[in-house]
Amino acid sequence: MKTYTATFLPENKTVTAVKGKSLLEAAAVAGIRINSICAGDGVCGKCRVLVKSGKVTAKPNMFLTRREIQRGMALACQTYVAGDVIVEVPLESRSGAAPILAPEDALRYGRESEWIDDEARFRRQPLSRKLFVELPPPTLDDALCDQERLFRELRKHQDIPVMQMGLTILKQLPAVLRDSDWKITVLLGRRGDTLEVVDIEAGDTTGSHFGLAVDLGTTTLVAQLVDLCNGATVSTQAKYNSQAACGEDVIARMMCANDPARREELKQMVVDDINDLLNALLLDSGAKAHDVTYVMCAGNTVMTHLLLGLDPANIRRDPYIPSVSEPPVIRASEIGLGINPRGLLAVLPCIASYVGGDVVAGVFFSGMASSDDVSLLIDMGTNGEVVLGNREWQVCCSASAGPSFEGGGITCGMRATNGAVERMDLESGGRVTRCDVVGGGKPLGLCGSGLIDLVGELQRVGCIDRKGRFVHNACGDRLRKDETGALEFVLFSTDETVLGREITLSEADIRNLIHSKGSIYMACECLLTYVDMTFSDLAHIYVAGGFGSYLEVPKAIRLGLLPDVDHERFQFIGNASLQGARMALLSQDALAFIREKIGASMTYLDLSSSPQYMNEYSSCLFLPHTDLERFPSVTQASAPALATTG
Amino acid sequence: MKLMETAVEKWSGAIQEVTLGAGADAGGTRTSTIKVGGAAALPFMDFEGVTPNAPVVAMEVWDCEPTDWPAPLREALGDVVKDPAEWARTCVEEYGADAICLKLANTHPDEGNTSPQEAAAVVKAVLAATSVPLIIWGCENDEKDNDVMPVCSQAAAGERCLLGAVTEDNYKTLVAACQADGHSLIGLSPIDINIAKQVNILVSEMGFPLDRMVMYQTTGALGYGIEYTYSIQERGRLAALGADKMMALPVICMVGQEAWRAKEAKATAEEQPTWGNADTRGVYWELATAATLLQAGSDIMVMRHPDAVRALKGVVGNLMK
Repeated sequence: MKTYTATFLPENKTVTAVKGKSLLEAAAVAGIRINSICAGDGVCGKCRVLVKSGKVTAKPNMFLTRREIQRGMALACQTYVAGDVIVEVPLESRSGAAPILAPEDALRYGRESEWIDDEARFRRQPLSRKLFVELPPPTLDDALCDQERLFRELRKHQDIPVMQMGLTILKQLPAVLRDSDWKITVLLGRRGDTLEVVDIEAGDTTGSHFGLAVDLGTTTLVAQLVDLCNGATVSTQAKYNSQAACGEDVIARMMCANDPARREELKQMVVDDINDLLNALLLDSGAKAHDVTYVMCAGNTVMTHLLLGLDPANIRRDPYIPSVSEPPVIRASEIGLGINPRGLLAVLPCIASYVGGDVVAGVFFSGMASSDDVSLLIDMGTNGEVVLGNREWQVCCSASAGPSFEGGGITCGMRATNGAVERMDLESGGRVTRCDVVGGGKPLGLCGSGLIDLVGELQRVGCIDRKGRFVHNACGDRLRKDETGALEFVLFSTDETVLGREITLSEADIRNLIHSKGSIYMACECLLTYVDMTFSDLAHIYVAGGFGSYLEVPKAIRLGLLPDVDHERFQFIGNASLQGARMALLSQDALAFIREKIGASMTYLDLSSSPQYMNEYSSCLFLPHTDLERFPSVTQASAPALATTG
Repeated sequence: MKLMETAVEKWSGAIQEVTLGAGADAGGTRTSTIKVGGAAALPFMDFEGVTPNAPVVAMEVWDCEPTDWPAPLREALGDVVKDPAEWARTCVEEYGADAICLKLANTHPDEGNTSPQEAAAVVKAVLAATSVPLIIWGCENDEKDNDVMPVCSQAAAGERCLLGAVTEDNYKTLVAACQADGHSLIGLSPIDINIAKQVNILVSEMGFPLDRMVMYQTTGALGYGIEYTYSIQERGRLAALGADKMMALPVICMVGQEAWRAKEAKATAEEQPTWGNADTRGVYWELATAATLLQAGSDIMVMRHPDAVRALKGVVGNLMK
């Protein structure tokens, strides 16, 4: 059988491949991971590559247009080596399990709010604590056993009703005490009301002690290494969730987890991801894994189940019951996390099947649960969540916005990484007058905020109507029909983009975005109606989510995503899930507050059973809204009458 | 002495008044023009506010012989259905139709696929044969309608016809045609109050005036979704009277078309011997549907059977007394 070489760019890695081997298989041999949700069945269209030179044979597929095929675009799993080939694997086709995000991307996702919250509300007393103690050596008069001797000393430092020490530590205790001349550092960890002696070390090691706060996102994982001595954030890293290969949303993941073997696999993926993040953080900071003693995770209910290896099956079955809402504190090594083997893992409580620890963390971090004023929190993710309330009560609901804010389901959509258009302005005819690209340079695709800007601007300049349909004569030659006869708007031509692939927007893309924004706005309306309030009653509207920080308020209002209220009421709080987890990690009081004041006082409103939601959802599928009066600032400044020929 | 004041609802809005047909003074050839809408109260609640115009009873005429209409309906109309102009004239002169609704069914690609020019000729013939306002309805194939309707619009220029229907997915062509030729138009929405309003906004944002628009919120016949139609029309009317200008448009109902699709209207005596006289069953079905929807707030009732038309005119007369 004939053998050829296949070279992959930009790595410039060459492997040999027998004739007829698919590019996907060849790439795997080269160690290059290409997105393949369907595992090579040719049905997901995610494994696009660019054949630069050489001979290949390909099966027909419906994902590539004629133009793209002419340029050498191919699906790696449906394209077979038939000569020596050189193939470029574009950024967008790289598997999520590939490298850790670039540092600037990590910052983006881990972005902390610029607005300074009063962290002093909660005493800094981490769940895990190192204490240096000097024990008086035993004498005939003071003949307490080693364990009691240590407990007596610890009680001098703090009032601890119940203390525990496992056999592992007991075995080491006599030797460590005597070898260190009775000067040891004790690592204390809290599990419920019990304080456990987690570990002991000779001498004073209190100076190096770290914890890990993790935002367990469906799409993106973000971890922060926190110095537990002074509360400082040492480093932040982010990574795509490897589970994406098993489905982009939580429903798909739950289906996947039906099989116990796959469930274990999913757990392993997320554990490996956290370990990858941990290693990157340690490398970056010079800290030692042994000194990381506590992990605090905030994630949605499904992600929390998957992390702990619990069966999430009942979450998606009526009446939607999770296995646990407040998982116990366990040893991190039990699930395979590579911190101090005796270190602990805690997870923030989940209120309901579709309102998880990430939302609870957000509510806590925003401070709305400590204020008399009623505020609204909007967490804009794939599974959007909205919470309304104050210190006395909170109501929450989930609004499945879909992946369009993260670039999913959009022809040229992408996450907010290098090359993504994040902000833009247009003038009449749809010409671009301003375009901000993440990382600078030529654009590669559209991320959520860029998409919001684009659609809002197209409507403003009259290129689309309020239903999101193109207005032919206003778009001019930028509008054309694709192969299926559907209209698409060419935003950037081939020579204006990184990959030489046009950036286009279809009516279906606009419709997806309108559905996403509609579900968020409607969820807010439903909560307000439920408690008989209106947007004008709100003191603050907190917008959480890595993406939220990059929104421009006027454009989000123009789209009908955010309500038309005074701009000063909006506060972007960044990745609230991560920051909430960090605060819980640093303060036992904060964790207690989260459990008692938030976890226990929140009411979950199931929108799927709310007649109002079903009834009025279609009123939100308009730009900005069917009731234009609700958006006076947008409609007053409305564009002149649209031109009148079809 | 009065013991108690009657509680009277006070409305802040009123339905837009729309004029159908143009007389010589307005550049048309109609000798009878009609105003619809204008109500400042719920239907027939004359103690709440004025209802200046009675609901209009129009009759449906096709541009080809409707072969699949049930026998009682075809027999009542007779041979005139073979000629649209003659059919229209009979409706006006013999049955007292206030307006004619000409349906261009034969232009549909799956039917006669007649050309825009042929359709325009029918429009002209019907206009010439009658002096009442004309409603022109396409074949509900977007692409074909976009070819046919502008030509028909031009053929009837100046007559202030009511052309239909525009949807949120296909409205620009017809709006432009109506704007150019001085017609009014019908906005169609599938039993959804929000989409009804969205259509109105989309059309008015093209610069089309609201006083030349009528809503068709889709009609459900008795036993076939009439409660949905009723509730949507009523909600629309309440919103309009509550000063929502974008909902304050007159409503048209395609009563005949829907009622005669019901099996209760169509079934023969052989098929359903226990259902009563097949000759009158359909008429009652059509009349009951119309009478019900009048209460929900309807302004133009498009009917098919002459007996149902006569009876409905009686009902309207009594209600407006």
